[in-house]
Amino acid sequence: MKRGSMKKWAAVCLAGITILVLAACGGEETGSRNLLNNEEDNEKTVNLFGPMEKTNPDAVNVARSAFDLTIAMAEEELGLRVEYNTYTAENYEEKTYDDVTLDRARNDMDDIYLLNPDTIEALGSEGELMDLSGLSCVENLRDVVKTANTVDGKLVAIPQEIVVYGLFINKDMFDQYNLALPETPEDFLECCRVFKENGIETPVGANRWWLELFVFAQAYADLYNGGNTEAEIEALNRGESRYSDYMRPGFEFLQEMIDCGYIDAKAAYTYEAIEGEGPDFLAQKTPIVMAYWGAANTETAYGNPDFELLVIGLPSSRGSMPVIPTTGYGVGANAKHQQDAVDVLEIILSDEALQLYAENNKVISPSKNVEVDCIPALEPLKDKVEENVYVLGSNAGMKVEQWGNTCLIVRKLLNGATVDECMAEFDRLQDESLGK
Amino acid sequence: MGEKRNRSKEDRGIPLLFSIILVFCILGAVVFSVAQKISREMASSAIQNLSESLDLMKGTIEAVLIKEAEFQKLMAQEIATIKDPEEFIRSYEKNQTMVKISMIPAGETVGVSNTGESFSEEELDFSSGGSVEGLPVSQSYLNYMGTWAYSMKCPIIKNGQEIATLYVEYIYDSLDESLPNGFYNGRAMLYIMDAKSERLVLKPKGMGQRDAGHLNLQDFYRANNIMEEDLQAEVAECVKNGKNILFYHDIRKKDALNYMWAVNDGTIYLIGYVPIEAIQQEGKTVNQNILIVVGVMLIAFFLCCMLYYFNQRQQGRIRREREAEREIHNRQLAEALHAAQMASNSKTMFLSNMSHDIRTPMNAVLGFTALLARDAENPDKVREYTKKITASGQHLLSLINDILDVSKIESGKVVLTVEEFTLNDLVSSVDAIIRPMAGAKNQEFHVEVTGIKHEYLVGDETRLNQIVINLLSNAVKYTQEGGNIWFRIIGLKQRSSQFEHIRIEVEDDGYGMTPEYLTTIFDAFTRAENSTTNKVQGTGLGMAITKNIVELMGGTIDVSSEINKGSIFKVELEFRIPESLADKSFWEKSGISRILAVNGNAGACQGIQELMKDMNVEVDVAPNVEEAMEALLRGGSDYQVVLLDRNVPDLDGAGTVKKMREELPEEALILFLTDHGTEGIEEALRIKNTGILHKPFFVSALKESILEMRSDLAKRDELEEEESSSLEGMHFLAAEDNEINAEILEEFLTIEGAGCEIVENGQLAVERFRNAAEGEFDAILMDVQMPVMNGYEATKAIRALERKDAAEIPIIAMTANAFAEDEKAALEAGMNVHLAKPIDVELLKKVVSKYVKRRE
Repeated sequence: MKRGSMKKWAAVCLAGITILVLAACGGEETGSRNLLNNEEDNEKTVNLFGPMEKTNPDAVNVARSAFDLTIAMAEEELGLRVEYNTYTAENYEEKTYDDVTLDRARNDMDDIYLLNPDTIEALGSEGELMDLSGLSCVENLRDVVKTANTVDGKLVAIPQEIVVYGLFINKDMFDQYNLALPETPEDFLECCRVFKENGIETPVGANRWWLELFVFAQAYADLYNGGNTEAEIEALNRGESRYSDYMRPGFEFLQEMIDCGYIDAKAAYTYEAIEGEGPDFLAQKTPIVMAYWGAANTETAYGNPDFELLVIGLPSSRGSMPVIPTTGYGVGANAKHQQDAVDVLEIILSDEALQLYAENNKVISPSKNVEVDCIPALEPLKDKVEENVYVLGSNAGMKVEQWGNTCLIVRKLLNGATVDECMAEFDRLQDESLGK
Repeated sequence: MGEKRNRSKEDRGIPLLFSIILVFCILGAVVFSVAQKISREMASSAIQNLSESLDLMKGTIEAVLIKEAEFQKLMAQEIATIKDPEEFIRSYEKNQTMVKISMIPAGETVGVSNTGESFSEEELDFSSGGSVEGLPVSQSYLNYMGTWAYSMKCPIIKNGQEIATLYVEYIYDSLDESLPNGFYNGRAMLYIMDAKSERLVLKPKGMGQRDAGHLNLQDFYRANNIMEEDLQAEVAECVKNGKNILFYHDIRKKDALNYMWAVNDGTIYLIGYVPIEAIQQEGKTVNQNILIVVGVMLIAFFLCCMLYYFNQRQQGRIRREREAEREIHNRQLAEALHAAQMASNSKTMFLSNMSHDIRTPMNAVLGFTALLARDAENPDKVREYTKKITASGQHLLSLINDILDVSKIESGKVVLTVEEFTLNDLVSSVDAIIRPMAGAKNQEFHVEVTGIKHEYLVGDETRLNQIVINLLSNAVKYTQEGGNIWFRIIGLKQRSSQFEHIRIEVEDDGYGMTPEYLTTIFDAFTRAENSTTNKVQGTGLGMAITKNIVELMGGTIDVSSEINKGSIFKVELEFRIPESLADKSFWEKSGISRILAVNGNAGACQGIQELMKDMNVEVDVAPNVEEAMEALLRGGSDYQVVLLDRNVPDLDGAGTVKKMREELPEEALILFLTDHGTEGIEEALRIKNTGILHKPFFVSALKESILEMRSDLAKRDELEEEESSSLEGMHFLAAEDNEINAEILEEFLTIEGAGCEIVENGQLAVERFRNAAEGEFDAILMDVQMPVMNGYEATKAIRALERKDAAEIPIIAMTANAFAEDEKAALEAGMNVHLAKPIDVELLKKVVSKYVKRRE
């Protein structure tokens, strides 16, 4: 009986193997003699221009991954392919990403552009970007986004995250020297002094982009948190008040920092964001850097430090102040695939996509409907934003573009210009905006 | 021995295992080398394939560049002919390839551009020295559109003089259309790199991985972890010299082919990588298929091994079975030899015993014969001697009969003669033989019959008799004087309604047997003790015969015994119950429908009821006389027979009978059931219609008693028998070749007053009868084995004679051929009856009286 069943099994196994092999080796017969597949490739494409991060081998860029996930949603849903065009300056002498963005947008090279605050305002005012206020996702957006990205009554860009900038603090080093977290510029300078005295050569790691955060925090802490925002902006737009008056304390503060050696101006002038100052911060040679929220989450930035990381606002007279320069995706006014591009935006900015994005990146979503927990390091910054305590790094409602211009003027300071010369530059820009 | 075999198995197993491992190793090595060879060939083929693809792309790009250069030359020629070249330039619309056209008049540093701006050559870098169709090509740069571009400059010559230089800006994006859409199915990466700046100036669309946007060659290296300095140096050297390079390097942990392919004399490079698994897709498939084939072969190999193993195991099993069979065979042979030797010994012993046993009576016969001759004148002595001679002869005869029986049974010649019989006859005949024997030794012989439902049965009564008598005679023989012998017939539960299942038990309280002897008791030629030393004489064949007969009847025999305590033999047999009972009508005709059984033994009463049930006779039971009387008072006229047990406690012999008679009809019979003897009831028996019936109770016995009492035939029959048994005056023809036998026969017949004529063979007998007058002979006594003509043939010949009495004359076979089949043959030959020698005169008389009509 036993042997009989074994024989049966052997026979079944043999038969099974034979069938499998025959089936596996069998070919598919086609009716035609033509061996080629001539089905036309009708795939639609949408060109997207965005910045290119220099990548490390095998490193996971969380932000890019999250963005890719939402793009994949759009590709799947719309049956099209989103083509990436990227650019990053090799060095400070080359054209910046923003420069290239402006060139490409003006020459209608792409359909969707990931825009920084200055380019939003520039391209928006030039009419190079289409009005996105008709998108269904707009009604879910937080007011801060709409305020910052509306140019001449048109909503020209919508972000996937609200980029909040702050100070990235090596809490261990602060604790080591018994330093409290700085709230005001004075506090900050005191901290720097202590670090410097304790042999920290450059207490603040800076690059050529983000030193302006100190300026914004000090310039607009009262403007955005004093309860008279619209009137003050209106006064600036009409020329009744001067930007230079707002900006001066911040510039003087930076000047003092440079003078005291708390910032290496020359290095900062050439450093790209994170790439320049990041290694020293991670190596705990520098206790303070500036960066955006997402840098705390991603391995390619400060996502995996060997010390206790804390992210706080920038020092101001009103205390620690997050700076929010709203970025966003804009669609070229003359884009070749404009409708497809709008469709893509509809999907990648939908609540569903933003939820996915926010969950992956642990960021503040531009949608009112999306709430995601953040890592502990970001709690102080988050608390401020939740309390509506922040300053905008860009505001399309201001006639003078803030983010890009301030950055350039800070670079001048880094390059040796005086505070007065810098203020004169603001005055010139304001005068230009007023048509003088 | 076993160890040695195991070791030899192991010795065989280890080389076999090594052989299998070796075969696998060789197979593995072959497969591995084949797979490697295929991989190498596929890799070589893939490299060639990739090189060709890259050459093709290179050719395409170069062709585009050449076309651009040629077109630019044509434009320059055209401009040379135009009156206002600057206006021409300004008004020239950009297209997808040429995005900016500029011109600088000879001798000036600033010119015009179709974008409306002024143009200076300082914006461009022609230092790399690259050229297409003789036109210098600038280093790549980001143009006003925010995309990577290059420019070519071409002199505008008019009338042999260079009047200006034409600059045309081309964008790399335009080359995208000329490159494959999805290189290696989108799995390969492909960039165009400016050789001097090492910037990646074009990433064609459809080239996949989004997170691998590379800035320049160093970024490409870093992103793909190509950090080996010697490799980077080698690449740099190749790029510097405008040579191609192709190398293996893991990209994101996957083996990949990396390439740097020089285009336009190395001013730009096609760079990128292809994962090996993408480039050698078919190689992988081939290797997979090889593995599948190897796998299938391995499975097949294992299956073969399994089949071989199972086959070997089966062979081994068969071999072992054969060996076992052979061993059994050998053992059987040894046993047979032993048995034969034993048999031979037994027979030797038997012959020795027989020699002794036969010689002893023979000695007596011869001795007494000698004494007889001497004392012939003394009638007392003669009578005494002849008596002893007869006894010795009888003993000799029984010896011979037993020997013949055994040899016959053993040779399978015994045939059962199945006839209807009654247990009553069995018990009666056995009782008649054994009781005197037991009586002679002062032994008590008890007969008990219980639980029998049918006394009329079908079977071989003679053989059954033989069984019982064998057992009982042994019991008598092997029981000391004054012992007890029990003979029981017990009705067992019927297995089938058509068969009566009985057990016959023969028990004694005699010498008993040793356990050793019990194991051989049923073997032929064995005896409890060697007869030469035993007072009890016998052939030692009785039990063997008994067992054989029992088995022939489909029954079983068991014995248990204890030395000095006695033995009990149990024989279980089944006999068919006859379909119709002739006796049934007797009771009806006799008018007997109700019997009163007065018996203190309830079991015996039940037995009577059981037996009478089949006869449609109702049996009422009374345990004592008192109750019997009550029953008679209630309805004495209903009873035709009263069975009055001799042992009923309140029996008062004649008194009881008389009392009963008062209540019974006159013709009603009262029968005393007694063991034996009539002591104490003689007076009662004298009362009319009162008789005795011997226990055990049988219907047939009751019937006979009733018949006897009613007709008183018994006496008459007896007289008749006596009369007819006489041979006086008869005349026989006897065919007998043996003179002594003939003489003995003649003497016997003469003594009985009969005449006899002896002839020596069958032929003579036939002749004599043919010539004899009718009625001359009363019967023919015919021997069977005779010279010239045997008895059967002679009988047939006589019967065939044309004489009136030829068919009628009784022919009696008198032969030493004493078996049933001999009897059958005799009857078939036409003889009337068969008598076995030696001649029993009484038997002969009975037979003759039965078959020969007495002459009036």
